[in-house]
Amino acid sequence: MMNLKLQKTQAITRRHFFGQTGLGFGAMALQALLTNDAHAADAGYRIPAKAKSIIYLHMAGSPSQLDLFEHKPALQKLHNTTCPDEYLKGKRFAFIKGTPKMLGPMFDYKQYGQTGQWVSELLPNLSNLVDDVCVIRSLHTEQFNHSPAQLLLQTGNPLLGAPAMGSWVTYGLGSENKDLPGFVVLASGGKTPSAGKSLWGSGFLPTVYQGVQCRTDGGDPILFLSDPPGLGRKARRKTLDAIGDLNRYQHQHVGDPETMTRIAQYELAYRMQVSVPEVMDISKEPEHILKMYGAKPGFVSEAESAADPRQLYKGDDPTFANNCLLARRLVESGVRFVQLYDWGWDHHGSSLGESIDETLPIKCRQIDQAISGLLADLKQRGLLEQTLVVWGGEFGRTPMMQNNVRNELKKGFIGRDHHPHAFTMWMAGGGVKPGAYGQTDDIGYYPTVNPVSIRDLQATILNQIGIDPQRFSFSYQGLNQRLIGPTDEGQVIREIIS
Amino acid sequence: MSKTAFFRIAFQMRQKCLAAIFLAAVFRVLTAADSVFADETIGFNEQIRSILTKNCLACHGRDELARQADLRLDRRDAAIRSNAIVPGKPTESELIHRIESDDPDSIMPPPDSGHQLTTSEIETLRSWIQQGAVYQQHWAFIPPTKAPFPATNLADWAIAPLDHFVLSKLENKGLKPSPTADRAEWLRRVSLDLTGLPPTIEQVDRFLADESDQAFEKVVDRLLNSESFGEHWARMWLDLARYADTKGYEKDRHRDIWRYRDWVIAALNRDTPYDQFTIEQLAGDLLPEPTADQLLATAFHRNTMENDEGGTDDEEFRVAAVKDRVDTTVQVWMGLTMGCAKCHSHKYDPISQQDYYAFYAFFNQTEDADREHPVIPTPTATQREQVQSFEAELSQLDQQLNNETSEFVEAWKTWQAQFDDLPLWTPLRLSSIESNANIKLDQDAQGTLDVDGELPEKDTWKLVFDVIAGQTITAIRFDTFPKPAGGKWSDKNVAMRELTVESLEPGKEPRQLKLTQPRADFSQRGWEVARAIDGKSDAGWAFSPKAAQPHAAVFDLSEPLTAGAEQQLCFTIDQEYGQGLTFDRFRISSSSHPVEWLTADLDPVSKLKTTFRRQIYPETKTIIGRMDTLRNSLHKVKQEIPKTPIMRELSEAKQRVTRMHVRGNFLDPGDEVSPAVLPGFGDPPDEQVVNRLGVARWLMHPSNPLTSRVMVNRIWARLFGIGLVETEEDFGMQGLPPSHPQLLDWLAVEFREEGWSIKQLIREIALSQTYRQTSAATDQQVANDPRNRLLGRGPRFRLTAEIIRDQALAAAGLLTQTIGGPSVMPPQPGGVWKTTYSGEDWKNSEGPNRHRRGLYTYLKRTSPYPSMITFDAGSGEVCQIRRVRTNTPLQALVTLNDTVFVESAGALAQQMDQAGDSIAAKINHGFRRVLIRRPNPIELDRLVTFYQDVGNEIENGEALLKAAGLKTGDPKLIAVANVLLNLDETLMKP
Repeated sequence: MMNLKLQKTQAITRRHFFGQTGLGFGAMALQALLTNDAHAADAGYRIPAKAKSIIYLHMAGSPSQLDLFEHKPALQKLHNTTCPDEYLKGKRFAFIKGTPKMLGPMFDYKQYGQTGQWVSELLPNLSNLVDDVCVIRSLHTEQFNHSPAQLLLQTGNPLLGAPAMGSWVTYGLGSENKDLPGFVVLASGGKTPSAGKSLWGSGFLPTVYQGVQCRTDGGDPILFLSDPPGLGRKARRKTLDAIGDLNRYQHQHVGDPETMTRIAQYELAYRMQVSVPEVMDISKEPEHILKMYGAKPGFVSEAESAADPRQLYKGDDPTFANNCLLARRLVESGVRFVQLYDWGWDHHGSSLGESIDETLPIKCRQIDQAISGLLADLKQRGLLEQTLVVWGGEFGRTPMMQNNVRNELKKGFIGRDHHPHAFTMWMAGGGVKPGAYGQTDDIGYYPTVNPVSIRDLQATILNQIGIDPQRFSFSYQGLNQRLIGPTDEGQVIREIIS
Repeated sequence: MSKTAFFRIAFQMRQKCLAAIFLAAVFRVLTAADSVFADETIGFNEQIRSILTKNCLACHGRDELARQADLRLDRRDAAIRSNAIVPGKPTESELIHRIESDDPDSIMPPPDSGHQLTTSEIETLRSWIQQGAVYQQHWAFIPPTKAPFPATNLADWAIAPLDHFVLSKLENKGLKPSPTADRAEWLRRVSLDLTGLPPTIEQVDRFLADESDQAFEKVVDRLLNSESFGEHWARMWLDLARYADTKGYEKDRHRDIWRYRDWVIAALNRDTPYDQFTIEQLAGDLLPEPTADQLLATAFHRNTMENDEGGTDDEEFRVAAVKDRVDTTVQVWMGLTMGCAKCHSHKYDPISQQDYYAFYAFFNQTEDADREHPVIPTPTATQREQVQSFEAELSQLDQQLNNETSEFVEAWKTWQAQFDDLPLWTPLRLSSIESNANIKLDQDAQGTLDVDGELPEKDTWKLVFDVIAGQTITAIRFDTFPKPAGGKWSDKNVAMRELTVESLEPGKEPRQLKLTQPRADFSQRGWEVARAIDGKSDAGWAFSPKAAQPHAAVFDLSEPLTAGAEQQLCFTIDQEYGQGLTFDRFRISSSSHPVEWLTADLDPVSKLKTTFRRQIYPETKTIIGRMDTLRNSLHKVKQEIPKTPIMRELSEAKQRVTRMHVRGNFLDPGDEVSPAVLPGFGDPPDEQVVNRLGVARWLMHPSNPLTSRVMVNRIWARLFGIGLVETEEDFGMQGLPPSHPQLLDWLAVEFREEGWSIKQLIREIALSQTYRQTSAATDQQVANDPRNRLLGRGPRFRLTAEIIRDQALAAAGLLTQTIGGPSVMPPQPGGVWKTTYSGEDWKNSEGPNRHRRGLYTYLKRTSPYPSMITFDAGSGEVCQIRRVRTNTPLQALVTLNDTVFVESAGALAQQMDQAGDSIAAKINHGFRRVLIRRPNPIELDRLVTFYQDVGNEIENGEALLKAAGLKTGDPKLIAVANVLLNLDETLMKP
């Protein structure tokens, strides 16, 4: 049995320890932890930034540039004729076999804005904003299958295992918000993109830099965010107090600074439990804002849980619009990199729900107003200047019709194969000059003026966010690993930045 | 080191520690240059090499394509020849001029390189040149030797050889080791380190009460002999093997390769010597007469990814897999990075692009090509035993069956005699025929019917046969004979689309007989004999492509018919298919015998003996019955045997020509290369063995300077948190130097000389005084050596993802301790898997598989188990040499809220509830189950207070109980258990 005197001493010690010292320690540690936002190591790669945040809209599967931005009357003339040999010899295709026919643009084009850019009828809202975006028509890539092409674009390496662009950026710059992840991923279209979650993995960087997928399908927006059923916030608070006290006591005896970090991380987790659902709740947005995007709070699309969502796509599905609105809320809250993936853009025409003539218009309806709303909303809030918005797929689509299933035009089954040699992307805001850049030949097969490689694109994005792409590296496997790859072929596209 | 330098480093490290990442998350940057070990004299390997490597060698090193100004600084002779270095005369050395220059055109490194030398680096280079600019070979490329134990002052501290090296280093720095840890602290540490599981309270009590000299040894040996040892250490190896349950890339489909995981567990539990362990995995298929296990071991390199995405070029991903094998082999065994040599010669280590592809050539000769092939059946031990025992019994029964006794022969003769009087089959005699095409049939003495003249294109026949009164008919039989060559119809097949049989008796309406059990010696695909009596004329019985052979079919009558007076049978045969597919020569017979004896064999009489054995003679009947059961079981087991991808060498004729890939591009082949190991690392292998086996033997050869060091260092790192060489993945020139070079070498030589025993190595370390120190640190200790590189205290670092899970389940008493088997799917939030096209689904396991060890959790490469990756586990995409340890708020959310941890809290609460009457006793018990030691009064008091306080705050106790997997219980104890499972001490190794 413990003697009374000892009991009393311990009670005093406990009060003293848990009451005063504890508080002091915790407060100190927290303050120290929260005031830093940049990776502290050699920051020689930092350069003046044009953008504070990036919203990257990746249309997974790759939309047809020839039916959206590339106005090619010459291709129209060749429509349904046999493809000349010069475009086939020595080329590798994913699906095209033998000699396909040429496929002219399926939709009407008009010129818009002061810059007179050609945009097809599928993007009526975005066409009115062309003066805010810089359309790059001369992208090309090395990969012609989805998974490696997405990986090359988003991680700089066609094989798995390299960090995502968002991981690189948060590693380099940290986050602006202490209660939210610095790299958030939102997915729509019913499937994750081909390369899966590796597209927002941190690769060889520490896992703290991996993208955090915020889910919008009714479950926890971040995995494990909710307390166990029945516990309640007050009991959770008491739990954290007890854990914190015991950890501080442990620290006093063991002296490991890691323990203090853990206390801080538990407190952050506690705050996230409130801050994340708050920022994810778009129902607080006023009606006119919701309308701008075509967003519908709380909507959970059938397509999101379907085995094959493509046949359930509807033009008025607001899932992507909701994600666009969330993207704005996130960058407004200081999230560094918001990555949207929208699946369902792989329009081969070989099976139902993946055609240029029928599916592409539906997918365009899902994004047109949403993206226009996003750009307009960012602009009206003065956020567009400091937010770089990037749109595109992982490669382009062929000027030829895909022929592996049928070699004739059949409604609902008209498609194009993967085309790595030329495709279109656009950027807006974040110090990018509106206009057009690069050109392709008459049928959009190869770039002819100002070709832009994936490396150039990556270099430009890093440059705008305030990172010198050449100097920015991480030592791994004996190499100074970089997003832009080992060689210096990737160069910032100076002509499109202000 | 100067005081200022120390503080600068300490400050930098502090800065790193404060790096805000995600929510200002803090983690340990493990790449910090560690200057704690700098000696006073300037050694090339210790101080100069890293400066040159970092700042100069990219342009003035080995890579001939990147070399500038034809200057090499990696070789002394070249550096002197070009006047860059004048030994003893720094002021005359161009190198010093350049690095000190302030002219942007002349200064080195060039400003745009992003590199800049610090003043102290310049000073170091100066002094080194002053001292004569002596170069040394890179330390790791010189084979290790054992140094004598260094002299130390503290007597009686060292108990293991390795302690001498550790103590000496500490004393050199003027430091003292820490006191020995409490027994409970050491026991928790060693149990988690050796088996990944905490000790049970019984094991704790036994150890605390054991006052014998061997108390520690007994614990270590118990742990090494436990099967959990292999499970725990397999995890380390599986990270290296990039083990996963799917193939990767877009489709990321399932792959059956868990038998390899179980091979690793078993091999570690057997303490397979590391050389054998290596040889079997890299080249088990090339060993003479390899065992099934040795073939299974080669799945190590079949863990590479495969791309099943539509339209991919198999060769592209085969090449990617081979390169991965090359990189992984060199990483895992030699701690070198070859990746860069794919495209250009290594800038720092002595590996040229030519060397890369010469080494690649060894691995370029296997059959696999981005497809599942080749796979082999890989039975588990149980399955193998079952197959063996079934097959042995079958063969023994077969012998017994064929050993005919005289009683059997006698009985057989007697039984057989009945067929002399009443043959098995009697041909039916044709009475009349109706044919649409008006054909005629002749019948010979044997009862065979023959179409008279040309066959019609198609026809339907009604054939009427006489039956002798009193005869019983149980079944009817068709025999058909090949049609002669020539004639109008080239197709010699027969298509009997439909057959009906009617009984005709005078004065009665014709009565259709029901036919059952149709059987034939052969049926054409889609024209199975049963379709001839299915009432539909779309298909029937036919026998392409075997139309040139005789065939037979048998149909039973559902009820035997006993013929009355003038009894007749009418057969209606629909042969309306066309193209002359009608019978030409055939016979219809009837039988009076039991239908069980009537087979559709072409020579049914010859099968009577089988019938007799199988159905009549009691002894053989029993044997055959048993054999049937066994065959079924055998078939079932064989079906369940998993097939595992393995390595298999292409035949001589199919061997590939290996060429360089220009800039690493496989579509741009360069010069042809012959297979060769990396030059300069130990003795080259036997010239007779120019294959992977040669590579494996070369790696394990005593002259290889790296293999043993790399493995010893890896095991050290798992036990102490940081390797003696911190850059476990890089022992090359860019890697960090060892903290205790002599200790590393001593262990490396010992490991090899003592027969490559991993268990022995771990035993040695676990029983050392170094390992027995307490991990509690004073502020002074933390300030002196923040990362414990000098080993002046016990290791304290965060547990791995798997241990955190397993520990919670074990403490709660929930853990299912089954070894091996297919991977399982413990609870995971819905909607995490949404993978393109694969159609595979995550189904939360119920029952015992819900609570298996983390090692067995299904790993899908593109969507790993969320709580595991949150705690830094890998995705199995590429070889993971070490896991970075982070400390993030997402981890807190996992251990606070994830179902696994909530259920663990529930079960732990239940354990606590049953452990005593008072709250204090209950909490005390829970504390011990998790943390092994007893709580001190302050801790206990705080937990009791929490228990009392939280009561009023729990929103809905019922709901909480349910979430924790309980029907009844005390929700407040669940909250306490939740606290216990989230303590810093719980998540850390003590």
